[in-house]
Amino acid sequence: MRTTVVTDEERKKAFKSLRKAEVVEKQKLDVRYHIEDFDVNDRPRRFLEAFAAILKHSNYKMALDHFIRMSAKCSRCAVSCQVYQATGDPKDIPCYRSELLLSVYRRHFTVGGLLKGRLLGSGYLTDEKVQEMAESFWNCTACRRCTLECPAGIDHGLITHLGRYILSEIGIAPRALVVSTREQLEGATKNTSAIPVPALKDTLEFLEDDMFEEKTVHIKFPMDVEEADYVFFPAVSDFLMEAESLMGIAAVFTATGDSWTTGTGYFDGINYGLFYSDRMLERIVKKVDEEARRLKGKNILIGECGHASRSAKYFIPTYCGGKDAFPVLNIMEYTHKAWKEGRLKLDPDVVTEKVAYHDPCNLARQRWIINQPRELLKAFCKNYVEMTPSGENNICCGGGGGTVSIDEIRPYRTTVGGKLKADQIRKSGCEILVAPCANCKKQLRELVEDQGIDCQIVGLHDLIYKAIIFDDSLVVKKEDEPEGKEN
Amino acid sequence: MESWLEFARGPLFRLSFAILILGLLRILFLDIWGAYKAYRKAGDKSMPWKLILSRSMEWLFPVKRVAHNRPVYSIFSILFHIGLLLVPIFLFAHVKLWEKSVGISWITLPYNIAFWLTVSTIVFAIALIIGRVFNKSSSFISRKQDYLWPVLLLIPFITGFVCANLNIDPKSYQFFMLMHVLSGDLIFILIPFTKIAHCVLMPLSQVVCTLAWKFPPSTDEDICTTLNKKGVPV
Repeated sequence: MRTTVVTDEERKKAFKSLRKAEVVEKQKLDVRYHIEDFDVNDRPRRFLEAFAAILKHSNYKMALDHFIRMSAKCSRCAVSCQVYQATGDPKDIPCYRSELLLSVYRRHFTVGGLLKGRLLGSGYLTDEKVQEMAESFWNCTACRRCTLECPAGIDHGLITHLGRYILSEIGIAPRALVVSTREQLEGATKNTSAIPVPALKDTLEFLEDDMFEEKTVHIKFPMDVEEADYVFFPAVSDFLMEAESLMGIAAVFTATGDSWTTGTGYFDGINYGLFYSDRMLERIVKKVDEEARRLKGKNILIGECGHASRSAKYFIPTYCGGKDAFPVLNIMEYTHKAWKEGRLKLDPDVVTEKVAYHDPCNLARQRWIINQPRELLKAFCKNYVEMTPSGENNICCGGGGGTVSIDEIRPYRTTVGGKLKADQIRKSGCEILVAPCANCKKQLRELVEDQGIDCQIVGLHDLIYKAIIFDDSLVVKKEDEPEGKEN
Repeated sequence: MESWLEFARGPLFRLSFAILILGLLRILFLDIWGAYKAYRKAGDKSMPWKLILSRSMEWLFPVKRVAHNRPVYSIFSILFHIGLLLVPIFLFAHVKLWEKSVGISWITLPYNIAFWLTVSTIVFAIALIIGRVFNKSSSFISRKQDYLWPVLLLIPFITGFVCANLNIDPKSYQFFMLMHVLSGDLIFILIPFTKIAHCVLMPLSQVVCTLAWKFPPSTDEDICTTLNKKGVPV
């Protein structure tokens, strides 16, 4: 699927910077995202120092060596990149973006590059190049679709990931992500949305009452239950913005009867470390593991969130004990399994609208979760339509890689980043788009709003909540209710 | 010229062939060693072998992803690679040379097939050069070696084609043969040090990329120590 290049007017809107001129001047960095103040002196040297430290203590070197030996510059990645398709700017070709960092690696960290550089007196890392990387790596949504199209198998997403990591070590990272991570790791509330535990409890109690009114079933959000089968970590923003998804999840657990819990010690699945710093990724993952241990849980269950799920699934084993680490599941895997086992009944007459499913990149790109949500949706949505391409080849919502949390670049995300997705949604003609990811949902809502598409964006469990059929034994009959409880 | 030719296909060939083999073994070893070290350091040692194998096969036998992305370029590139690999290895005249010098031989291409494969390789190499020059995204990211390689690869194919198929006088024949052998020698020498290293590294790409995401455990503390950031707030 292709899209057209944006018009000049759209381009102007998309690339308009909201940063004040004096801040740009002070920080000597012309990018569109806000950055906290940082040391602007001697950036190239400090970049190289950070690069060297990261290479020393990580596995990136092996991949960079492999990439610089065989990159063939075929430019097939260009066609698959939704950002390049929309901007038409060759600087947005994934291979070009990767070369920004690969050339630094080649010049400063390989013998051949050092000799050539010394001989020709060229290729030094400059401030301009740091500036170009700071801009380029945050234009990319890190969706990794291009990696599927590279015959040489170069993982451009990995290079973007590494480039952002190095930049963050010299203070260049979007303020939105840094501030949230700071609250999560060092703040009083220990979560990215700064929700205090009492407020969380109030919210959940309110939701429980709401659900009882609607379904006449006692649907609970168990808190701090020890030895539960599943310790639940949603994207914490769901508590504020995606109540319906959480209600659907609670409803599923009520129907299946399995034990699950949310810990008040730590309850945030969000991990912005995946987007800008491996060090933060590690710290956050360890917090999740710590809470699951405190509660003596059996499995870690992540809510409807692509990056939170990927962070936990792939990095809890990395940082918390390898094969002895907690098993990690995404909620869709759990719900699908329960439905397959016949423990979950869904009413096929409730959702009649035309429904489509959007694959979050972090769930589908590595072929992790593709079929389960589709099977579930097809089971109770009569009017399900498939968008193409989908599954591992899905098109990113345009807010991937943490960019959705950077509010100041919304025009970029909805004009450039999500342009191809908007075309795809329009083409599918869906009335409801299911996006089981907090980030995708936020981005897609902004996208349909800004692009004028009439489509409702929901989570998978929002629809499951509507369609779930409870066993009669769970439904409280009016006469069963103790007096005075009805209000 | 005859002594030049003898030198080019004697000692120079042996030298360039040795550089090719040793050079490829070197990068193959470095790549595998790097991957092994990464695996040893990785906190999570589980490997999705099914996915790795499936994606490696997708590109070793590229059929699945050709049609929807630069189809003409991709198909030309595949056809170019087929001739590029088959002709030098299975050409009757080449196999005979191996048989004469080291006593080993293998199956050879029928004349007709070798002829058309040579023609197709020449045609598709030219098409790929044109594609690289005129495709906006391609030309923007191309380096010198990306233009020079197809040109260099054309030389042995064109000169070999001339020597094998055209009636030319012995002097010209010797000249074309010398060019043929010299360009072949040069290609052998350059392969391990340029992007053509992908001929041995490509099958490892999926393993390398998977391992690159397998981080070592507890790098936070190490990096903080190295960068003097211990205790620095987020």
